[in-house]
Amino acid sequence: MVKEIEKVMPVVHIATVVPISKTVGANRIVPAVAIPHPLGNPTMQPAEEKYLRRQLVEKALRALQTKIDDQTVF
Amino acid sequence: MKLELGNIHVRDLAFGPVSEVKENTVVIDQQALIAHLTELDHRIRSLELSIAKPGDSTRIMPVKDVIEPRVKVGCEGDIFPGRHLGEEAMVGEGRTHVLKGMAVVTTGEIVGFQEGIIDMSGPGADYTPFSSTLNLVIQCEVDDSCNQYDHEGVVRLVGLEAARWIGRLAEHVEPQEIETYETKPLLEQAAQFPHLPKVGYVYMLQSQGLLHDTYYYGVDVKGILPTLMYPTEVMDGAIISGNCVSACDKNTSFVHQNSPVIYDLYRHHGTKYNFMGVIVTNENVTLKDKERSSNFTVKLAKQMGWEAAIVSEEGFGNPDADLMMNCAKLEAAGIKTVLLTDEYAGQNGESQSLADSHKSADAVITNGNANQLVTLPAMNTVIGHDRYADVVAGGFNGSLHEDGSITVELQAIIGATSELGFHTLTTKAS
Repeated sequence: MVKEIEKVMPVVHIATVVPISKTVGANRIVPAVAIPHPLGNPTMQPAEEKYLRRQLVEKALRALQTKIDDQTVF
Repeated sequence: MKLELGNIHVRDLAFGPVSEVKENTVVIDQQALIAHLTELDHRIRSLELSIAKPGDSTRIMPVKDVIEPRVKVGCEGDIFPGRHLGEEAMVGEGRTHVLKGMAVVTTGEIVGFQEGIIDMSGPGADYTPFSSTLNLVIQCEVDDSCNQYDHEGVVRLVGLEAARWIGRLAEHVEPQEIETYETKPLLEQAAQFPHLPKVGYVYMLQSQGLLHDTYYYGVDVKGILPTLMYPTEVMDGAIISGNCVSACDKNTSFVHQNSPVIYDLYRHHGTKYNFMGVIVTNENVTLKDKERSSNFTVKLAKQMGWEAAIVSEEGFGNPDADLMMNCAKLEAAGIKTVLLTDEYAGQNGESQSLADSHKSADAVITNGNANQLVTLPAMNTVIGHDRYADVVAGGFNGSLHEDGSITVELQAIIGATSELGFHTLTTKAS
């Protein structure tokens, strides 16, 4: 899906297993938390978890705006 | 560690007034076993025992685990150790009796969506090793107070304790054959066959949480750092399954007890190579755990002086990354690797087989394509609940037909693409 979207617009792949993301050819990669909960962490207090989630999304948005020449892990 | 395995070949399985092993027939007093199992947990709502024999028109589903009855004889230790207080002793030494040819199979209402099917006859029987065992099937239902984790834990306990209870019937029976397996302490083992290549086995265990867990001496392996294991430990049930990963490539407790790579490595130990031992490792859900575990695995392999390793995976998808990390890092350390896996290559076999790859993974053995479709004809008897056919992994809307037949991917059949090769699936070059 990432590669198909990239044909028409920049895309960022938020992925737990970065090596797989690299293997499949994603160009902008943001490491996620864990396989069962890539964008959250059930062990955190809700407020802390919300901060974590926001940080990840903001990092992904920054990645979208960053010019890259090669596969990049943010 | 040196272990003598005494096989008692089970020719028949029956219910009767007294539990015993008599002339190669295992007789089980239903009421006594049910009474024993009912005591295990107050949340057990019902227990039903059935016997399913090879060739019967019987379907068992959804299957949680398959377990082989074994017993320690005249020595310290317990089969399936580490789960109860007072059972912490190391296993893998002394003598163990095995009721060869039978199994305990647990079924009941579904816990997770990745439980599977055993057909005792028909085309489905060819795909599962447990169509050729005499099966004592335990249908265990729990009360509504159980969440999924409690449910899995209760059914796991029932299966293991039933296998132990039956195994004890073999304690004073003379085995038909005794096999001896031995691995010496590291320095002695290295010195025993100094001119042979030192080979080891990296035993990857499913540890994803969410009902995808494996236990080593009762410890959830998602919380371990990779560790050394004497190969004989598995023969006493040191590794047990608490795992609802896809039925086709989940290693049931039976498969761990009969771990094919370990038994096969012993076959040429001392003639073709020096089998040094096993590293038990996990397949966790975070990248840092994957990196850490693969680093530890390589550290231990180098520490033991391995020159080559067999690495087996359990499950698919993100564990493919663990497999590739183990492979790449072992190869970078100068240790030759062979990988055992299976494929999810789509129903037409044209999709990418693994989620991850690495150029150093150049010796890979496949154990089949889990997406291959198969139609299982209706059976006269269903033990458990076939209504889950549409929702188990490998099933889809419409899998269960009105006449009771089922169309599913091999993914739904227990052991169909066992990544340890515990099956009969093969391929021929055309």
